[in-house]
Amino acid sequence: MNIYVVDNGGQWTHREWRTLRDLEVGTKIVPNTTPFSELTKDGIDGLVLSGGAPRIGLDSPLGNCAEYFEKASFPILGICAGHQFMARFYGGEVKPSTIPEFGKIELTILKEDPLLAGVPKQSIVWESHNDEVTRLPTGFLHLAESETCKIQAMRHKEKPFYGLQFHPEVEHTQYGEHIFQNFIDICKKT
Amino acid sequence: MFNAEKFITETIADLKTKIHGKALIAFSGGVDSTVCAALVHRAIGKDLIAVHVDTGYMRKDESKFVVQIMKDMGLNTRFVDASEEYYQALADIEDPEKKRKIIGEKFIHIFERVAKEENITTLVQGTIAPDWIESGGALRDTIKSHHNVGGLPEKMHLTLVEPLRDLYKDEVRKVARTLNVPVAERQPFPGPGLAIRIIGAATKERAEIVREACDIVEREIEHAVEKNQMEMPWQYFAVLIPIKTVGVHGDKRAYGYTIAIRSVQSIDAMTAAYSDIPHDVLDRISTKITNTMGAKVNRIVYDVTNKPPGTVEWE
Repeated sequence: MNIYVVDNGGQWTHREWRTLRDLEVGTKIVPNTTPFSELTKDGIDGLVLSGGAPRIGLDSPLGNCAEYFEKASFPILGICAGHQFMARFYGGEVKPSTIPEFGKIELTILKEDPLLAGVPKQSIVWESHNDEVTRLPTGFLHLAESETCKIQAMRHKEKPFYGLQFHPEVEHTQYGEHIFQNFIDICKKT
Repeated sequence: MFNAEKFITETIADLKTKIHGKALIAFSGGVDSTVCAALVHRAIGKDLIAVHVDTGYMRKDESKFVVQIMKDMGLNTRFVDASEEYYQALADIEDPEKKRKIIGEKFIHIFERVAKEENITTLVQGTIAPDWIESGGALRDTIKSHHNVGGLPEKMHLTLVEPLRDLYKDEVRKVARTLNVPVAERQPFPGPGLAIRIIGAATKERAEIVREACDIVEREIEHAVEKNQMEMPWQYFAVLIPIKTVGVHGDKRAYGYTIAIRSVQSIDAMTAAYSDIPHDVLDRISTKITNTMGAKVNRIVYDVTNKPPGTVEWE
């Protein structure tokens, strides 16, 4: 079982690697410039797109991430900038947040989904973002929100592609490791 | 999960092939450098020279304690008192990034001096994951230049070996417990020391004040933990804010600095929540600091910021 972490320059990229390793998955941090063919050489079962340096989710092409969406049949989990880029790629909209969120925020789940299975309707998550998805791309489901940021979680209707604005990889997100385990289970089943 | 025993066996084997001849380790006495020294000591024994530098920004009696640990561990020990040199270099430096860079460079110059005397070409550092992550580079933004990464001079004559690079503090502690290292549970203390707990110029006078205040915060919080009044924080200390406010001391006007109490809960320093310190503990800390410092400090504040948006240390 291999799930790689694509590094978009986030502060918590290495935390994502660590969470996957702690959950006993084969994992590696790879630069976002890695071509798809090289990425899949070792046989991978899933991909995590990390968050990024300031404002990278707003207008950067985010390395080769577009190619991954075009070619992947395995699950992809976009976090923060990864999530924002996923929304832009599929025709949604990303803008600077009216109220940027940092630290502790209450998440409300709107729609049941395997990625958030077992997470209570209300839980504590940690955030760190200046930008956010302001319009859901067509063909996506809206899964969760917070008081100050509507699109906290989304998924593609047909493909196993997920986006999270909050950070499940950090210790202070209550059900973070649980969400990662759900993602691993999704990768196993795909 | 992280397997400390496996990590120890693999790292020692790896160090044996990586280090040729003697090596020098930068030994602050914190968990990271002590664990690192224990590993390298097992790999190359007496060929390891452990150097501890008193920068003048260590905590109360800390250097004495650290030298004792080095001796207890059976390390080949060197001690350098560079405090006056550091106070001079930082006398009028206010920018936190400049402070960190000067401190980092000075460390390396001192280590290079010792290395030359001892004919050493390898420098071992206890760098851990958050150090290089927060120091930035390539895609990643620089949050702060950790003295052992972003604070390194461009030109350096020593080859770096950093066996703990991929570990976080909780994992280093697991290794420490397995190796039976005496400082496994010590709270983290930054390499630049008290210099980054003084906002603005880190003068000797201010260093003395914050050193005393840190000592009081540490003792009072440890006492409260012992009495089950609060959970043991991840890190707990005082910060000197060079803003003077008016007070009244025995019918006399006072005009002194402000001290902030900072205490957080975390496991890896990548996120942190401020600690819930009971009011009577805050009260004891406040009274003790102001009564000990006389006219130098007359206001105490309590930092209630999480990480993010704040960082654990103020600079």
